[in-house]
Amino acid sequence: MTHEDWRTIRHRLRSPVLCFVALLLLLGVNVLLGVYAPFRWRNIWMIEAGIAVAMVLIVLVFSMELVREPPVIRLFAGVGFYWLVILFSLTLLDYLTR
Amino acid sequence: MSGAAVPVGIEVAEHFQDANQQRHAAVFGMWLWLATELLLFSGLFLVAIVVRVMYPDAVTAVALHLKFWIGATNTAVLICSSLTMSAAIELSRLGWRRGMLACMLATASLGTLFLALKGYEYWRDYVEHMTPFFGFRPYVLSGDRATQLLVDDYFIITGLHGLHLTTGVSVLLGLAWIARRPSFLRHHQHRVEVFGLYWHFIDLIWISVFPILYLLNR
Amino acid sequence: MSPSDTALRDPLTPRPTLGRPDDYLHSEHTLRSWLLTHDHKRIGILYLLSITFFFIIGAIAAGLVRLSLIVPNGMIFSNDTYNRLFSIHGIVMVWFFLIPSIPNTFGNFLLPIMIGAKEVAFPRLNLLSWYIFMVASLFTLADVVIGGVDTGWTFYAPFSTTFSSAWVVPALIGVIVVGFSSILTGLNFVVTVHTMRAPGMTWFRMPIFVWTMYATSLIFLLATPVLTITMLLLLMERGFHIGVFNPAIGGDPVLFQHMFWFYSHPAVYIMVLPGMGVISEVVPAFAQRRLFGYRFVAYASIALATVTFLVWGHHMFVNGMSEYASIAFSIMSFVVAVPSAVKVYNWTATMYKGAIKLRTPMIFAMGYVGLFVVGGITGLYLATLGVDEHVHDTYFVVAHFHYIMVGGTSIAFLAGLHYWWPKFTGRMYPEPWGVVAALFIFIGFNATFFPQFILGYLGMPRRYHEYPPEFQILNVLSSVGATILGAGYLFPMIYLVWSLRFGDPAPANPWDAKGLEWTIASPPPEHNFARVPQVDFEPYDYSEREQRT
Repeated sequence: MTHEDWRTIRHRLRSPVLCFVALLLLLGVNVLLGVYAPFRWRNIWMIEAGIAVAMVLIVLVFSMELVREPPVIRLFAGVGFYWLVILFSLTLLDYLTR
Repeated sequence: MSGAAVPVGIEVAEHFQDANQQRHAAVFGMWLWLATELLLFSGLFLVAIVVRVMYPDAVTAVALHLKFWIGATNTAVLICSSLTMSAAIELSRLGWRRGMLACMLATASLGTLFLALKGYEYWRDYVEHMTPFFGFRPYVLSGDRATQLLVDDYFIITGLHGLHLTTGVSVLLGLAWIARRPSFLRHHQHRVEVFGLYWHFIDLIWISVFPILYLLNR
Repeated sequence: MSPSDTALRDPLTPRPTLGRPDDYLHSEHTLRSWLLTHDHKRIGILYLLSITFFFIIGAIAAGLVRLSLIVPNGMIFSNDTYNRLFSIHGIVMVWFFLIPSIPNTFGNFLLPIMIGAKEVAFPRLNLLSWYIFMVASLFTLADVVIGGVDTGWTFYAPFSTTFSSAWVVPALIGVIVVGFSSILTGLNFVVTVHTMRAPGMTWFRMPIFVWTMYATSLIFLLATPVLTITMLLLLMERGFHIGVFNPAIGGDPVLFQHMFWFYSHPAVYIMVLPGMGVISEVVPAFAQRRLFGYRFVAYASIALATVTFLVWGHHMFVNGMSEYASIAFSIMSFVVAVPSAVKVYNWTATMYKGAIKLRTPMIFAMGYVGLFVVGGITGLYLATLGVDEHVHDTYFVVAHFHYIMVGGTSIAFLAGLHYWWPKFTGRMYPEPWGVVAALFIFIGFNATFFPQFILGYLGMPRRYHEYPPEFQILNVLSSVGATILGAGYLFPMIYLVWSLRFGDPAPANPWDAKGLEWTIASPPPEHNFARVPQVDFEPYDYSEREQRT
């Protein structure tokens, strides 16, 4: 491996490593919340869910390189999640108003 | 450039005009498949959420019996495997075949580690009487039958995710076996990228499973 | 001369001669060349043969159901046999005929040709989709015929999971597996439309049939996985007692219904949208007019595919869902009627002042428009909360959805089959017989199902084979109608097969129609186009005739 090779590697792996670090940090926060904060505050789940959503977004946008893909693929990635929202919201509309 | 690099490219199939079109079609197809996978798992997530809405106390009782630390460790294991998979993809683009193979094998090993931990977790569930569907074993939470709903959902979600991961590891090993040939990257480099999408997606599903089952309900 | 006629006279396009070795039917003859083919046209024909077989099975079961209902006391079959018969009819017709009918036959055959492509994007997946379909469908068929399933096609929990004593588990496996065939076809079509269009084939130059195939594929992709997981949950509950719907431990069967109808209501549009696509091709061709409001019809297809995911609750108004949810679902169900109505108006406006040729496909298409309107409007009655309270689970509902499924989809299927038969086979069907069949089917269909509206309104529940004697006249009328309808279906099966050998050879464009599929020989050459077509004309380019008049 030459010096040049190492530079290429460092350049190429910058984004995956940053994702990795960010994901582990967010996971750490969530684990701490799970271990030390149960029963204290009922709505702690909102923060935990928000952190989980952030982790999912990091995987989608950076690990799965949505950021580099053409708009049509971003559209369909969004469509999948949008349909999930339809399923959840209309079903919960029933359960939350019974 | 390193001497280890081999030429990278895509062999264009007859019905495509050029390599870009073919790569785009393959990546597009995988994204659509992943959208269907997402909706597949969403049905199970929906069950977990509805059960939580209907029986908030029961789900808390179940969550305190789930193996929180194994779930957290497994999340970390999959995040590591995502890193090695990303590295494999980047190296495949550079044409560094040996490095790519090493990263693929590391990814497969981490996936196997996940499955082993998952198996241990199931064993602990069995030992701690968290298997209400076995008629011959007493159930630790039998005081509240509604707890069984989330336990059943837990086994189906983690089982289905485990099935996907097992498939992922098998395909990855098969791909690595084919990719050991020097001509692979010249003809089929995009296969590594398309498979990588699937792998990251399994990771994404687990990143959602961990909070939905283990964390939010505590 | 309009630009599409120039494309017709392209000297590089093979001349329409029959039996040339390079057309897709005659390039190879072995069974192996069919079973291992990657050619989208041959796969379309394989699907056509398979779904015809399943249609016959489903129709026989329907005939036996009508036979049983001739007498009010249920003497002809036992309760169990009757339940199994209507379950065979429902399961086979929904999953093995209606859902794959138009997309997997005409869609496979025509979609790549209509956008000027050589193939679908993933030919091997396409073949795999057929094999999955065959394995799952034959497996399920064996199960429902030999073992018997008495849950109907809806598999409602907890009956299916706990109380039914029939062979439910294999049927669930079959339905789960056949879903993958739908998913793979949908995936293939969406990627093909996005990536394989010929140069110049912009989105708004695609025929409406392609738009509807695209919309249908979206539903395949976004709805089918939810059905898969729902059926899997039933399977786990029935097979391994790992269940989440069991009311004995606090589970909610209504949750099953939510998940089931999240797929199964959009599945109605999987069945209807392709029919709309066929009609949108047939009507302009036989009126020799540009399709009225092309862009609106295209947008309406996508709108239907989207809005249909917001209305599933109208199947559950009386099943314990909250009132607020019922109101929301009711309103959305009215909204979904708008794009459907847009299409009906546009077909009618296309016929207005057209030079209408009353050939068989056009007669079918006109029948479709009328029956679809009846089915659609009765759908609005059912979307109304108060009315649904009265007619829920009666023959009114049965009649309503048969007007959509049979009056809509099956008739559109026959319209398309006659319209493209020359393209598929290179032979013309016998026109007089086609007209007779179309009239038989139209009359027989109405005689069968119109009495059921009245029966339902009077209160006859569905899925019972005993009923009060005062309903007998209407039931006998319905059964007589079914006989006429059955005869109507028998005609095409005979004369279309006859035409394969004795029909007149078909020219490349027997209907003077527009569209890329009519610019190539009948039957098409193996790779569709001798060279990639350059599209520089609008769809439904009938301007030549319009200028003349």
